[in-house]
Amino acid sequence: MTAVAVRLVCLHAASRRLPAAVALLALCAAGLRGTLYGHWDDYGALQLPLIFEAACAAIIAVTAGSPFGEPERATGRWLPYLRLGTAVTLTGLASGALAAAGTGMPLAGGFPDILRNVAGLTGIGLLCATVLGGPLAWTGPLAYLVLAVYGLYTDWHPPALSTPWIWPARPPHDVGGALCAAVVFAAGLAAITLRGARERPGGDGPG
Amino acid sequence: MTAASAPAAPRPAVARRGAGSAVLGSGRLLRLELRHNAMLWLLPVAFALFWYNGYREIMALPPMWNLRAMTLQNRLLLDLVIPVTGAAAWMGSREGRRGITDLVAGTARPRWSRQLATWAATTAWAEVGCLACVAVVYVMTARQVSWGGPLWWPAAVSAAGVPALTAIGFAAGAWFPGRFVTPLVTVVVFFGLAFGTQAASGDHSYWQISPLTAGAFDIGAAPGVASFYPYLPDLSIAQLMFTAGLTIAVLGALGISVARMRWLAALITVAGLAAAGTAVALAGTGRLDPHGMIVIPALHDAASDQPVRYTPACGHTPIPICVHPAYATFLPAVTSVVGPELTELAGLPGAPARISQVAEVYRQEPANGITILAGVRSGSTFILPDRVPGQPGVNSAQFASQVGLTLGLGLARDVILGGNGQATAQSPSQAELAVIAGSVGFTPRADDPAAQSLFDGRLLPVPGSPAALAGRRFAALPAAAKHAWLMQHLAALQAGRISLAQLP
Repeated sequence: MTAVAVRLVCLHAASRRLPAAVALLALCAAGLRGTLYGHWDDYGALQLPLIFEAACAAIIAVTAGSPFGEPERATGRWLPYLRLGTAVTLTGLASGALAAAGTGMPLAGGFPDILRNVAGLTGIGLLCATVLGGPLAWTGPLAYLVLAVYGLYTDWHPPALSTPWIWPARPPHDVGGALCAAVVFAAGLAAITLRGARERPGGDGPG
Repeated sequence: MTAASAPAAPRPAVARRGAGSAVLGSGRLLRLELRHNAMLWLLPVAFALFWYNGYREIMALPPMWNLRAMTLQNRLLLDLVIPVTGAAAWMGSREGRRGITDLVAGTARPRWSRQLATWAATTAWAEVGCLACVAVVYVMTARQVSWGGPLWWPAAVSAAGVPALTAIGFAAGAWFPGRFVTPLVTVVVFFGLAFGTQAASGDHSYWQISPLTAGAFDIGAAPGVASFYPYLPDLSIAQLMFTAGLTIAVLGALGISVARMRWLAALITVAGLAAAGTAVALAGTGRLDPHGMIVIPALHDAASDQPVRYTPACGHTPIPICVHPAYATFLPAVTSVVGPELTELAGLPGAPARISQVAEVYRQEPANGITILAGVRSGSTFILPDRVPGQPGVNSAQFASQVGLTLGLGLARDVILGGNGQATAQSPSQAELAVIAGSVGFTPRADDPAAQSLFDGRLLPVPGSPAALAGRRFAALPAAAKHAWLMQHLAALQAGRISLAQLP
């Protein structure tokens, strides 16, 4: 990799606030670790990791927003690859950090659960970024968080939500849930790679 | 005319005009903020989340005000927390996010005043969403219930929680206007609200101040709570005080950075914190009353302890079954379970002329355990199961099994053994066990070990025993035949002069 390429990657990372995002992902992992020391009932134990997974996905989705807009799109052909690389790298980092935080602790679902949920939630966030713009991309993962928490709740209180599209409520090794999460993640990656986050000429969103 | 005698300048009119224009200006500012508010755009998200998570489950509950209103309090705020807190944080971070802090600092209004207008507009839209959800649930419930009127306290607590959410989100956005702050503060508030009651234990817990808590932790929304006795507002008042105090404290803290109003803002903040702290302390003095609600002595009105007047809903069985009118929807299910038994036992010595539902008595056990007992125990009273069909995880078969286990078995025991509600000390004869088993037709569910344990030879015959076989034979008779046989032989049966072989 040439020095120019390294510089390009660094500039892209800085423009997307990647250092801050990585620090916040680490903070989420630390938060998960800290809360796992607490005593939670069955609901809490299952729902707790999901909250941190959603927070990570929201952070990743928010980084998709570009502060430059149209001029950046005209600068070269590497931008889609940079966007793809950023999203994949952050998703991997988030999954790894959360899994590391759960090492040696009673983490419900384990690594497969974390990977599936982070990927799926990130996919939702990236899709939201392409539709709503980067600054508002958090709405998707966090709204989905409420649905997923309810899905986990129905595992105790039938009728359970059995649709694989609410994958956090499915067991960690459930193929249907994993496929749905993978499809959403792939769609989000494709959308953010090809189109990038939506830019609003009149500002960054309503309000 | 001298200057001294000249009429005074019309200062009051000027002052009035100034005050009027200030109000007008504030109204105009609020209207602008209402038109350009992110919460308006997030209302569909809020409605969708409530419909999916809360509304469907609430409307699946039996049409009883207590069940639905208390479940609404437990659900609504949790469904609104993401869009409401997120929108408030987004609006709070607007000036910083767009880099216009210095630009708007030159306007006539102080920053605190502008921020309060934005917060008020966000809260107004959030309240519209909250109250619309409440209205839909209450209107639908009003069309379905068989008795009673809406419980407003749970709705008031939910509505009062909204300004607290918007204040927290708004303040976080205003103080830290970064792109990551909105999602982070939203997740933190969701975490705090959803997991805030995990540490709760017993009826003295400070954590029951959470606006999601609609009653004692291990009871929650139960049909027996606030049916026979009025809904106690003690905990709701403490929760209202807490959310209002929290809102005032956070909004006051926003103004501390304004040099001219620092003292006023600090005073408001302290007052808000004092109110919130007092509310938490009050919640810690709560205790579970016998009717399943939390009593806070400092807020309690003794007049609320009087039972509610009602006209019972009665069935048309030979021994009429009467229930509280709020339970009227369950009367057909109850009579279908015990109807044959009532036909069989009606008119026998010791059989009640009427069987009436009575209130449960709740008793707090260590930690979160709660014992539920019948308030008045006699052969002519019964309590319905505390879990009814429509509540999550409860179906009609489970309800019928519970009714058979409690009402059906209790009635047969009282009449056949002649105890009239007093547990007979003497061990029943095998023929009595067979007749009880044949009368109640009670079949325990495989997943109910407590019910299966009744077949131990003390109240119901051991499965496979001669008494069980005789009981099955007796059960096969029509209710009228069983009634006729019991009319002739009950006294002999109770005296132990009937053997298994003599049973029809």
